[in-house]
Amino acid sequence: MNPLETPFIKTIRREIAFTARDHTVWFWMIIVTCLSVLSVAFGQAEIKHQHVQIQSLVQANEASNTLESSKWNDWGSAAFYHYHMTYDAPSDFAFAALGQRDNQPWKHRIRMLALEGQIYERDVSNPSITIIGRFDFSFLAAFVFPLILIMLLYDLRASEIKAGRYHLLVSSVSHIASLWPLRTILRTTAVLLCLLVPMIFAGAINGTSLSTLLQASIMVLLFTLFWSVVCYIVSAWRQSSAIILTTLVGLWVVTAVVLPAGAKVAIDKAVPLPSGADILLHQRETVNDAWDIPKEITMNNFLQRHPKWANYQPKPPSFDWPWYYAFQQVGDQATENLSTAYRNGRLQRDRIAGWVSLIAPSSLLERSLQSLANTGTAASIDYEDRVRIYHSKLREFYYPKLFRHEPYDKTHLNKVPRFNGR
Amino acid sequence: MMMLQADSLHIKRANRAALNGINFHVNSGEIYALLGGNGAGKSTTLLSFLGFLKPSQGQVRVKGIEVKSNIAAARKVMTYLPESASLYDHMNAYENLKYFLQLAKRHVTESDIQHALNRVSLNQDSWKIKLRDYSKGMRQKVAIALSILRDTDILLLDEPTSGLDPAAIDEFHALIRDLANNGKAILMVTHDVYGACQVAERIGLLRDGQLVGEFSSHSDAPIDPQIVHSAFLRNK
Ligand SMILES: Nc1ncnc2c1ncn2[C@@H]1O[C@H](COP(=O)(O)OP(=O)(O)OP(=O)(O)O)[C@@H](O)[C@H]1O
Ligand SMILES: [Mg+2]
Repeated sequence: MNPLETPFIKTIRREIAFTARDHTVWFWMIIVTCLSVLSVAFGQAEIKHQHVQIQSLVQANEASNTLESSKWNDWGSAAFYHYHMTYDAPSDFAFAALGQRDNQPWKHRIRMLALEGQIYERDVSNPSITIIGRFDFSFLAAFVFPLILIMLLYDLRASEIKAGRYHLLVSSVSHIASLWPLRTILRTTAVLLCLLVPMIFAGAINGTSLSTLLQASIMVLLFTLFWSVVCYIVSAWRQSSAIILTTLVGLWVVTAVVLPAGAKVAIDKAVPLPSGADILLHQRETVNDAWDIPKEITMNNFLQRHPKWANYQPKPPSFDWPWYYAFQQVGDQATENLSTAYRNGRLQRDRIAGWVSLIAPSSLLERSLQSLANTGTAASIDYEDRVRIYHSKLREFYYPKLFRHEPYDKTHLNKVPRFNGR
Repeated sequence: MMMLQADSLHIKRANRAALNGINFHVNSGEIYALLGGNGAGKSTTLLSFLGFLKPSQGQVRVKGIEVKSNIAAARKVMTYLPESASLYDHMNAYENLKYFLQLAKRHVTESDIQHALNRVSLNQDSWKIKLRDYSKGMRQKVAIALSILRDTDILLLDEPTSGLDPAAIDEFHALIRDLANNGKAILMVTHDVYGACQVAERIGLLRDGQLVGEFSSHSDAPIDPQIVHSAFLRNK
């Protein structure tokens, strides 16, 4: 028998031909394709912008360092005026899930001064206010796409009942599985392909690894499977299409809007966080106060934690740079608890949100795509940690030179640690 | 041979008795017409043969098999023409017939389809026009063509002549007569007393879910429409 003529293939060809004649299916396929292309293009443009920004910031920073470096005449001023770009370059899949990159900082221009304030400076001017991020692929797939599936599937049966065809169809068909389940599968597959193809295409252009694209596709597939099963079950209910539609949209509202938003409010309440602004202010106060209190107190605070430099001898009458950097670091010590609370609190909120997302599939998909794209809260905190490590390397580089009063040697600047932005 | 059989059939719909213990049967080669007022339970009777409505008491049998025990087997030997049959509006007659026949896994040739469309005298110009541009009677003709093409032993027809013009009704009667002569069992719901008397071997009169009268033709005399008509009105 010709393999294309087996009963199974014939049945599928029958329903494909039938589905292809349905204008509403084409309508939604075109809508999904357009939305997917748009979302991927938005994401792509944003990522490109971020890359360009990083590149130009790094270049501008290098240029200004080069320009300024002629004025540096000791290690203290070199450390003071020398700026370093730190950044978290977007991953090759970030175009599909911009995630926290919208409202969490991913670039800093830092120097050897107290660090925590420098990290959270941006949080002061740009508080995060968005629950739903910008329109990217993850948003489309997790929040908009289920609605389109609902529109496509809710009256699969109810419309046939209304048209008086239901009993004719069911009494004619030789295998009932080849009717509603097959129609559901075909419609779902059609729009799913329209959703995935632009994303995969953009991934190919960006050099996204095959396994990342495969994982993302499987995530979206499982999510789609969930919603089409829900639509299938609810639409089998012998109710009017209006009631079925209301029920499905209600389920969407609950799982995609009410649960995530409610959980966010509850989590924010349950896990209080100091604000980034608190950290910045507290640090500024500590650092400013240092000018007014006896140097010994500051140095004692510093040396307690860093006994390594206890032998240091101030070198009057020149400006005491080591003391200056010591009180900067004491500033970091003073905000340590706040910073840790802020960091761990965000991680805990994120962890709880992760558990909650197990009953809110839209959030689960969005989070999964973000973690695949390295754009989630964890990635953002990981970046902050890398900035801290880098900053401590800067201190390790400069402290011996400062505390041992090493003579200034410009050529040693080549050895200043560089931030690895990945 | 007894093709359709209702034994003290009770059906409940929306918690009310729609059929209240009816007994009748249809033999092969026979046309049985169900008459009755609106809401009498005619369509309900057909749906219970198709297994869509389960008897609360009694049973329905198709070719001797109790429908409840093997719905799929029962449906396989029946063709159902629903009340105000509507096929797919966005497809033409050809496409509709092909689709529904594929659904039933019934293989027909192009010429079978053409033959059927000719038999219901659907104008050839309209074969490739979408059904949304059809008149009510034209749609009904396509549905009848489908019933012929299914070629099952039993036909359940719910008001098949509604929307047909007098000439088309005559043609339809000739058509089912022909089918019955070839051994098919036909159970037809109708409001057309005179038509039913013309074409049916037997007529059952339904009222409030009960069979209140049965009329049979004899080899020498068809059923007298006058008698059926007055019985119909008396039972109103
Ligand atoms: N979809 C339905 N749901 C619940 N009850 C129904 C439904 N359709 C019909 N009924 C009830 O079943 C009973 C019989 O209805 P049925 O449709 O069999 O009448 P009928 O003889 O075909 O009438 P008509 O000539 O108007 O088509 C009526 O009392 C009606 O109220
Ligand atoms: Mg009826």
